Amino acid sequence: MTLLDFARGPAMFWAMTIMVIGIVWRLAGAVLLARRRDRSVPRGDNRLVAGLRAVAMRSVPPHELEKSITFQHITGYAWHLGWFATLLFFAPHIPFLKSILGFGWPGLPNQAIVLLAAVTLAILVALLVRRMIHPVLKVISDFDDYVSSLLACAPLVTGIVTYAHLFADRHETMIGLHILSVEALMVWLPFGKIFHCITGLPLRFQIGATYARRGVKA
Amino acid sequence: MNTTANAAEELAAFKKLAQGIAQLASAAPPVDLPAAERVTRAKHVFIQKIDAQVALDLESCLHCGMCAEACHFYEGTGQGRYAPIHKLKLLRKVYRRELGPFRLVHRLLTRDLTAAELEQWQELVFDSCTECGRCDMICPVGVHLSRGVHITRQALAAAGLAPAELRALDAEQKRTGAIFGAGVELLRSALDTLRAQGIQAPLDKPRADYLVLTTAPDLLIYRSSIAATARIMNHLGVDWTFASNAFEAANSGALSGDEAAQRQATQRIVDAALACGAKFVVVPECGHAYPALRWEGPNAIGRDFPFEVLAISELLGREIDSGRLRLKPLAPGKRVTFHDPCKLGRKGGVFDEPRKALAALGVELRETASKGTTNYCCGGGAGVFLIGRAAPLRAAAFRIKRDQFDATGAESVVTSCQSCRMSFAAGAQQNNWNVPVESLVELVANNLAAPETTRGPTT
Repeated sequence: MTLLDFARGPAMFWAMTIMVIGIVWRLAGAVLLARRRDRSVPRGDNRLVAGLRAVAMRSVPPHELEKSITFQHITGYAWHLGWFATLLFFAPHIPFLKSILGFGWPGLPNQAIVLLAAVTLAILVALLVRRMIHPVLKVISDFDDYVSSLLACAPLVTGIVTYAHLFADRHETMIGLHILSVEALMVWLPFGKIFHCITGLPLRFQIGATYARRGVKA
Repeated sequence: MNTTANAAEELAAFKKLAQGIAQLASAAPPVDLPAAERVTRAKHVFIQKIDAQVALDLESCLHCGMCAEACHFYEGTGQGRYAPIHKLKLLRKVYRRELGPFRLVHRLLTRDLTAAELEQWQELVFDSCTECGRCDMICPVGVHLSRGVHITRQALAAAGLAPAELRALDAEQKRTGAIFGAGVELLRSALDTLRAQGIQAPLDKPRADYLVLTTAPDLLIYRSSIAATARIMNHLGVDWTFASNAFEAANSGALSGDEAAQRQATQRIVDAALACGAKFVVVPECGHAYPALRWEGPNAIGRDFPFEVLAISELLGREIDSGRLRLKPLAPGKRVTFHDPCKLGRKGGVFDEPRKALAALGVELRETASKGTTNYCCGGGAGVFLIGRAAPLRAAAFRIKRDQFDATGAESVVTSCQSCRMSFAAGAQQNNWNVPVESLVELVANNLAAPETTRGPTT
């Protein structure tokens, strides 16, 4: 079995299995803990609307706090968009995704995607460096932060190297490594902070509804 | 009494109380607990307090650090350890090792909580956090950071590691029901003074619709606020009373994290309200006292309240809407800014009502750049004003607030929390800042439009 066969076969199966079981296990472990009854009388009863509002508005905080976090916001959006655009619109990815989903879509020109991937990678590296030197980030960062950053970079690095045929004589091996780098990210998802892709929106709803009890738009 | 004499008297009283606060730590009961016992007690509280909502908070943080950008203590000092999410590190550690879905792995890979960590976190969750909740407003995934800080305070309090000043206050309130020595005799004396001025001030009426509370800073410094409260209640023509066995609104346990103290202070007020059949309990201009009773009170004592809890500024807004509270407009052109006390605003939901009162007074309201849900804290909330070693942190926070006030060009700052007023008074002294800070209740009481009336007998 070649590395590419391994990556496309058993590695993909186990990565997917670990990811799904891990997500269910971690999510259940948190949300199945007891919940407390709040005996205070809520101010109004707009918690559903307030929760949904928080889900939407936390993406674009409209208030003056935004000026303090402009850099994080712009770079955060930029690399997420770049990463997912590369995943979804790079022409060679689409047949693979179609084989899973059963439908496909048009891709973007390869040169544009490679440029996007390079910019995304540059932002991720800049954020990683910032994490090591920023007075807050260097205090709060731990193993998870660095592993998650490196695993987010890995598919971009292996993808660009593969596309550029830097190791032309080992092209299949490079594709295998590229797929394995994505699988590593899938395996890490339930264990690291990337898990926010599962809990982020429910948590936004929770804080919006919690503060709405008191009549506060959060 | 004219305004200048009143201000001079208040300043002298403030300085006297500040001297008393400086001595507070020496009155704290000693805590002699072995390190292992401290850890056991703290872990017990952490485990007890972590529910599904807290767990979701702890599972979702991105470590993006944005919360720090909302914190006045980080902004004022530039020190990364004041980042709100860092303050939740012990809570997260206990969650991961004791309750989290991967606890077996975390027990293998991480060290257990230590007494040294608990001691180290005292500065982070007490001195450098007012639980103002501004960080809660910025987190991109919605982590409820101030709740995590409060749980950590409760864990430290159980471990005997609340700051000495707050432990002294807890001990006094548990023992006497009062704080800063402002006992019932002081209340009686204050009410006698009001009666001598012709202001009806009922005490211990057997039945009353409104139970009105006061607080030690009112009794010791801002006595005109008590007079103002009485005049407003009389103006409204409602059936009201103070109670000699439950007049103190402040709740030291809500500040220190001492749940027994919080429960006892809450129960005292509830018992008095039930005894006189109150439909409303009115909390004075004491920021933390409002959420401590309105939002946390029923949970603290485990029963629903058969009465409504109102902050006095909330009552003002409601009664302006109802038409019972009628005010004379001030001289045209008076420019004021309003400071939203965090515990009334962000933690209480009282934003519009005080502004209605200011509108009825006809002032020109000049809002600070940060207002309402993103307002900066005074820097002394949640007991931080009482912690001696936190003075440099308070000063850093005050400078942010002062700059925002100054930028409005307002002639005075109006607020509705005596703790905020004391924080500003201390900051003003240190920084030669001379913008007056006024009480909303006093401003309203001094501009009532109609003669005062009262219903029912007074004692």
